[in-house]
Amino acid sequence: MTSSANKISDTMTATTTSVDAPMVCLYGRGVANGYAMGRAVVMGAAALEVAHYRIAPDAVDAEKSRFSQALKSTSDELRALADNLPDDAPRELAALLNVHQLLLADPLLADETLSMIENRHYNAEWAVTTQGQRLGEQFSAMQDDYLRERGSDVRQVVERVLHTLAGTRALGNLDAILQSDEPLIVVAHDISPADMIRLRGARFAGFVTDLGGPTSHTAIVARSMGVPAVVALGQVRTLARDGDFLIVDGQHGTVLINPPDQQKRAYEALAAQYADSREQLLALRDVSSETLDGVRIGLQANIELPDEVPLALSQGAQGIGLFRSEFLFLGRADLPSEEEQFAAYQSVVEQMSQRQVTIRTLDLGSDKTLDGEATVATNPALGQRAIRYCLARPELFQTQLRAILRASAFGKVRLLIPMITSLSEVRATREIIHSVQSELQAKGQSFDPNIEVGAMVEVPAMAIAIEPFAQAFDFLSIGTNDLIQYTLGIDRADAEVSSLYDPLHPAVLRLIAGTINAGQRQRIPVSVCGEMAGDARLTRLLLGLGLTEFSMHPRQLLDVKQEIRQAHSNALRTKVAAALNRADSIDPDHLND
Amino acid sequence: MPQIELIVSNKLGLHARAAAKLTKTASQFACEIFITKEARRVNAKSIMGVMMLAAGKDTTVTIEAEGGDADQALQEIKALFDDKFGEQD
Repeated sequence: MTSSANKISDTMTATTTSVDAPMVCLYGRGVANGYAMGRAVVMGAAALEVAHYRIAPDAVDAEKSRFSQALKSTSDELRALADNLPDDAPRELAALLNVHQLLLADPLLADETLSMIENRHYNAEWAVTTQGQRLGEQFSAMQDDYLRERGSDVRQVVERVLHTLAGTRALGNLDAILQSDEPLIVVAHDISPADMIRLRGARFAGFVTDLGGPTSHTAIVARSMGVPAVVALGQVRTLARDGDFLIVDGQHGTVLINPPDQQKRAYEALAAQYADSREQLLALRDVSSETLDGVRIGLQANIELPDEVPLALSQGAQGIGLFRSEFLFLGRADLPSEEEQFAAYQSVVEQMSQRQVTIRTLDLGSDKTLDGEATVATNPALGQRAIRYCLARPELFQTQLRAILRASAFGKVRLLIPMITSLSEVRATREIIHSVQSELQAKGQSFDPNIEVGAMVEVPAMAIAIEPFAQAFDFLSIGTNDLIQYTLGIDRADAEVSSLYDPLHPAVLRLIAGTINAGQRQRIPVSVCGEMAGDARLTRLLLGLGLTEFSMHPRQLLDVKQEIRQAHSNALRTKVAAALNRADSIDPDHLND
Repeated sequence: MPQIELIVSNKLGLHARAAAKLTKTASQFACEIFITKEARRVNAKSIMGVMMLAAGKDTTVTIEAEGGDADQALQEIKALFDDKFGEQD
């Protein structure tokens, strides 16, 4: 440890004293907001600097055993990581580590690499990189989204083997980092799940990577730590050296390497302004969410696991508008038992005391599947998912309903059903709920007999023929992500068409408006829980459509509350109604009065 | 070479979990085991190979095994397919 500590402090002094280092400015994609300034900590990307040479014929056996030994050590290292996972590590990490171990043991990787060493006399690093790229390309060419992603797992496994061969680690200087007083910024080619576990304990001011997108591991870690991140920078890892001074602008996706003092001061001012505005927002936590003309707006939080409740409460959430229960089921080999589910639901209900908790029943089948498994349906978004999946598996559905109903005895629980498309599904769902209620009653187990049951409005069919659905349910919740995808026929995850994904398309807005109006006619609450609800630039538009219940990621609550408190609801309703009648597309920036 | 034809009958096909089970089972045997779907033939002890077959539900695959414990290997693999890889459907 001491040697690496010396190394990093040496480089830092060297760079600090060299005042002439030219500034480099890189543009990427900001995936976690805020500003950070600090020293670069560059994570090795062994694959990028692999030595290519041919070995002497008499050294072939030694090279082969060097490679086999590296495979074994890497596998031991992953097993040790998996065995010592911190209790709070996301469950999916364990599953990913397991996949990585299986990939390491795969003869397609090992045997082909060994034969390249034997027949072509490639050195081990060259051989394994070549084979890794070949396999990665085969996965990348596959049609299935899930299989395509396995290509990056192969790349990460090869990267790890290369580090073992070189005797380095992706984060060799981690110990030194943990002891530094200066703010530090991680610079990486990409961040793998295994790196993530090692990064968890450390405090970093920001993350910048060559690869990645809004849902990459980097983005997820950065957001959970509340620090900025910029991804898709292309070559930041080759341009930044350990100890370089970096400015990370997560708002605009910019990274400055060794900026002049003048730039530093400008960014210090921006960062201070940003910190102030966050501070001021926090002051909004306990004030009411009410428009200028006195309309009270409900602000609730979307959560995935019970441990997110404290964050939701810290941001002033009035309830849980969407508890995505499927996250209890993901990244594990078995199904959670009724007791385990009950404990999770009860924990959320009790933490929220008497505030409303809306639990959505399993929404599995499209982009989320059990144990990382993808369905083989040709179009999973249109396949057997959500309520279709649950009705086809009555036992699994009943187990979940029992657990939710039992939790309803401890507070104010609402039941939310995803993907309802037809009235026959409504009847089938109601029947199952009734049968579970009778069963619990017979067993003398307590539950809320008046539990409200609502439906997600996400299939256009329901939004178009909304009236009978609004009569059949106690509340409606609009899932804008899927509603937009299905209405426009755009797969947002498909980069080729994602630019066509338009939440402001008049058809989408009319479906949202129609649903809100139907709710008012039937006197049932309607909320929006998709990403539109958390986008502060769209708050005025949604208020103009008559929305009074919003549910979003906890970190977005205060930004949206600020918009609400500056908006005049009645004026917005008139403006938006006029625009909808003209079938105009609405520019939300023109709604600022 | 002893071989059998099997139908993938679990709902999700030979994706991660089922592929992992097949790979682990196959690796317990000393004999060579191959799995073929249409023209593609891969080593049944390779999780990547098995996943790359992209064998969905109702696909027919051929399992071949060669070596001392080939018959026993085929029996165990057949049992795994018959059990739908332990998936509840």
